[in-house]
Amino acid sequence: MSWWEALIIAAAAAFVVGVAIYSFVRRKHGKGGCDCGCDHCRCGGCASRKTPPEK
Amino acid sequence: MKKFALAGNPNCGKTTLFNLLTGSTAYVGNWPGVTVDKREGVYKRGEERVQIVDLPGIYSLSPYTPEEVISRNFILDEKPDCVINIVDATNLERNLYLTTQLMEIDVPVVIALNMMDAVERSGDEIDAKDLEKKIGLPVVAISALKGAGIKELMDRAISVSKEPREGVTVLHDSPLAHLVRDVNIALKGAKVSAPLFHAVKLAEMDEIEVGMHPELVKMVDEFKATFADDTFGSDLEAVVADARYKYISANYSSAYRRKEKKEQLSRSDRADKILTHKVWGIPIFIVILFAIFHLTFAEDLFYIGAMAGGLPTLEELGLDPENVGVQLLACFYDGALFSPGVMLQNVMGWLTGLVGMGLDAACASAPAWVGGFIVNGVWEGLAAVLSFIPQILVLFMFFSILEDSGYMARIAFIMDRIFRRFGLSGRAFMPMIMGFGCSIPAMINTRTLADDNERTSTVRVIPFFSCGAKLPILTAIAGGILGAADAPLVDLIVLAMYLLGMIVALSTVILMRATTMRGDVPPFIMELPPYHRPLFKGLMIHLWDKLKHFIKKAFTIILASTIVIWFLSHFSWDWRYLADEQMDVSILASIGKLIQPVFTPLGFGSQLGRAAGWVFAVAAITGLIAKENVIATFSTLAACLVAGFEATEEGVSEVITLMGQTGITIPALIAFIAFNMLTIPCFAACATARAELPKGKFKWTLLFWVATSYFVSAAIYLIGSWWWTLFPILAVVAAGITGIVFWNKKHPVKKNEAPMSEGEALEAAAVASDGEEDGQ
Repeated sequence: MSWWEALIIAAAAAFVVGVAIYSFVRRKHGKGGCDCGCDHCRCGGCASRKTPPEK
Repeated sequence: MKKFALAGNPNCGKTTLFNLLTGSTAYVGNWPGVTVDKREGVYKRGEERVQIVDLPGIYSLSPYTPEEVISRNFILDEKPDCVINIVDATNLERNLYLTTQLMEIDVPVVIALNMMDAVERSGDEIDAKDLEKKIGLPVVAISALKGAGIKELMDRAISVSKEPREGVTVLHDSPLAHLVRDVNIALKGAKVSAPLFHAVKLAEMDEIEVGMHPELVKMVDEFKATFADDTFGSDLEAVVADARYKYISANYSSAYRRKEKKEQLSRSDRADKILTHKVWGIPIFIVILFAIFHLTFAEDLFYIGAMAGGLPTLEELGLDPENVGVQLLACFYDGALFSPGVMLQNVMGWLTGLVGMGLDAACASAPAWVGGFIVNGVWEGLAAVLSFIPQILVLFMFFSILEDSGYMARIAFIMDRIFRRFGLSGRAFMPMIMGFGCSIPAMINTRTLADDNERTSTVRVIPFFSCGAKLPILTAIAGGILGAADAPLVDLIVLAMYLLGMIVALSTVILMRATTMRGDVPPFIMELPPYHRPLFKGLMIHLWDKLKHFIKKAFTIILASTIVIWFLSHFSWDWRYLADEQMDVSILASIGKLIQPVFTPLGFGSQLGRAAGWVFAVAAITGLIAKENVIATFSTLAACLVAGFEATEEGVSEVITLMGQTGITIPALIAFIAFNMLTIPCFAACATARAELPKGKFKWTLLFWVATSYFVSAAIYLIGSWWWTLFPILAVVAAGITGIVFWNKKHPVKKNEAPMSEGEALEAAAVASDGEEDGQ
């Protein structure tokens, strides 16, 4: 295996792990839902959504 | 930094004003209840910075639904420097009801008289200065849609925010005023903030207020006891509401001068005569839906080709298919004129095909695994998903037009008649229709439903309304089926699957409302907004949101998933690299084969014994991460399974390839679509459902999704493969229905005879008045 083949494998693995960590951290920060990261989609509060208050 | 709150009735233009002030592009819709959570932005003018908070719409400060609680709590607890009360000038009296409550809070208030352009257009007049004099609060005429009066509004708001303001009430009638004054003095003594507002609410015995100040209830009762027994009647809340409306009528209505009109019906009313007709309303909706699906998915626009008995292909016309210009032309016409959605999809497919060929050429000298990984593993999966972007955008452009024009709110009104029989109100239709876009905001929007059981039932059935992410599955498999059968009816199959989702949703709602989610049908609380032409900017914002979300998802979760799928399908358990033709002994294949028997009753399990039969089982599981993964999995694996595979139309060709490889039948393919449409939605939607559902309901919801999808898909496969199985299946369903009927007879629902809350009564009154205006 040449060095650049190893590099492709490492880059692919890093990308997959990065996406997993990114999603995990987002959720841990209470963000999430649709993962779109915007503050102007229909859910509106996806960037700072909290559990709805008790009725 | 100063903090201003935007408060007002639903659909009065708060978010439009918020966008204008902060430069945001928050989602705006022409129906009440679009905003269900507070949203913040910054207004900048020179050195000045003001934090603007957009609150969900409320009819009064007696909250009825969870999102209304957010608005009330923000105004009372967060103590904004100023409340900008947006008042819909076309509906002045009802909107001023909330104003009379805001006036009672010790906070500076400015009234923004919005939609003045609509008032002027109708020939009516509102004297803002006269109104200001009568109310005693600054009143500024604006048009958020046209950006008129915004500077003056902010000047006045900044100016009033500098001085503290003490609440005043419009409840001057004795002895009500007497009672409020006594309680107010007592609360001032107890150093309660906004004492006048709390005094009125305590006098009304408002549920939240009583919960917040239980120690004061006794005192209020003592004050009440000083009046004669029948002074306030049995329902003080209604007495207060009545007093407010009488005051508004007597004092403020004179500021509104209506033009003498020869014809009473407005354009909206005339349109509603047809579009909300009790007989024609639903057929018209189905025709509109069909037209949308036809323009998005039809491979024979208006069935011109079929009616002409077949049109010649480009090759038959003597054009060279290898020519780039002809290839591009074939995106628009090739034996049939394509619909706009298909044309755009073809162009996208053609472009992704060119990129694929470029990558193939670039990897020609690289080792076989590198070419396989980059072209088949990464690109094919990604391209298959990206190629559906145009169709998704076209479909959502049509849905956005329906929504922005105000037609969707009418559909909720029409559907109320049907939904009511099934135990839901028409209001539940709005989150369901939002589910066509994405289940997540749709689930969040169920906060506008007041009844817990209705909310739970709605959250559970929202994933049955096929979201944008499921569209590639539907289109690719429908295209695959019809490609194999050589019939250009993709639009009909896709529409039929959408309708199947709706039918399953309604059937399961009936089941839930008859068993575990029993209860009274809540009153219909939807206000019908006037029709208006959708704004181009608004449409573009909707589409941009969709596009951005889709691309981001494609280049993160879906790309990561295709990489993992490729690696798992090209390595064995002893970590040995496998060539494409050895994939059957890969890690992925062994996992797929392990779970394959589970899907046997659904037609895509063990019966697909030949090589690659496990692909369907794997695709169904990867779809749990994101539904687009189903097609990405197909593309990645199909490209590897078939040597020399060349996708001519992304997604569809993969399905045809897999049909040939696995021997899967058409009923099993339809069952596969149904399973993916109805089963557990993606992880993100599950997380939202968990947050939105009451405690303890989520695990049952997961079971409900699995059981429903399994039963419906198995029924489709069995009936499609052996028609006579229809009878035993019907017998099982009939036995179930009979069992429920008997059980219900033995366990009748206890009627909830609690009186309507103020908010409930107001909303019901609003809808009733709208209904009267509409002549319905």
